[in-house]
Amino acid sequence: MEQLAQIAFGVYTLIILCGSVLAVSAKSLVRAMVGLIATLLGVAGMYMLLNSTFLALMQILIYVGAVSVLIFFAIMLTRADAGGEEAASAPLRQNVLALLAVTVVGGVLSWLILTRPVVSSGVPVEVSIEKLGLGLLGPYGLAFELISVVLLVSMAGAVLLAWERRIGK
Amino acid sequence: MSPLTLYQLVALIMLLAGLFGISQRKTLVGMLISVELMLNGAGLSIVAAAQLTPANAMLGQLGTLFVMGLAAAEATLVLAIIVVIARRFGTTKSSAVSTLKG
Repeated sequence: MEQLAQIAFGVYTLIILCGSVLAVSAKSLVRAMVGLIATLLGVAGMYMLLNSTFLALMQILIYVGAVSVLIFFAIMLTRADAGGEEAASAPLRQNVLALLAVTVVGGVLSWLILTRPVVSSGVPVEVSIEKLGLGLLGPYGLAFELISVVLLVSMAGAVLLAWERRIGK
Repeated sequence: MSPLTLYQLVALIMLLAGLFGISQRKTLVGMLISVELMLNGAGLSIVAAAQLTPANAMLGQLGTLFVMGLAAAEATLVLAIIVVIARRFGTTKSSAVSTLKG
């Protein structure tokens, strides 16, 4: 079983790696979205390995189901066709600066991760869905209510922003 | 290497890919995709840290759930902003959107 988990971890890591490279380097935005969806599914697999099944299902439901459909709508509504605005490669200076930022941040963070290991167990703890629900209604109730207010405000704001005024203008 | 370190390295890969994308992409939709990538890496890091150490595991899972909700709200708003920009400027290139109006 231990070996099976290691194989699964390797497979998910490969999916995440290939997906995120595709997501940031594809010329066509639709292909980049396919890469993003592959990455999100890989992360859902990681959540499964971490013994948080509920989060894995929510990841698939919210990200793969809702957020990626939203971004597809954004691609369609802006008519960014397949060989569209990302087709021309970025200027060399921009690429070099992006690589510099990635190297600096990656160097510092990986140095921190590798030199300051935290004592951790290989067996993730189990949190039942019942406990999660009680937590949402009990100690973290305020955050739960606030996130629903944020979602409501963002929905109303999106409608208000995208509303086409027919009269007046 | 401890299991937590491996998970955090995977999360770091996602963060770096998103960072590269957001500084190199030319359209707003491409930048939005990179932001989602970075947010997901953060979620993976939080859950791994909460599940594999004696920390409060419930808090970690609920925190990641809230991050997902915020990402959905953010994607909604950015979609509306992109639609407005596409209507007004005729393009979603970030370099074209450079005029302010008081």
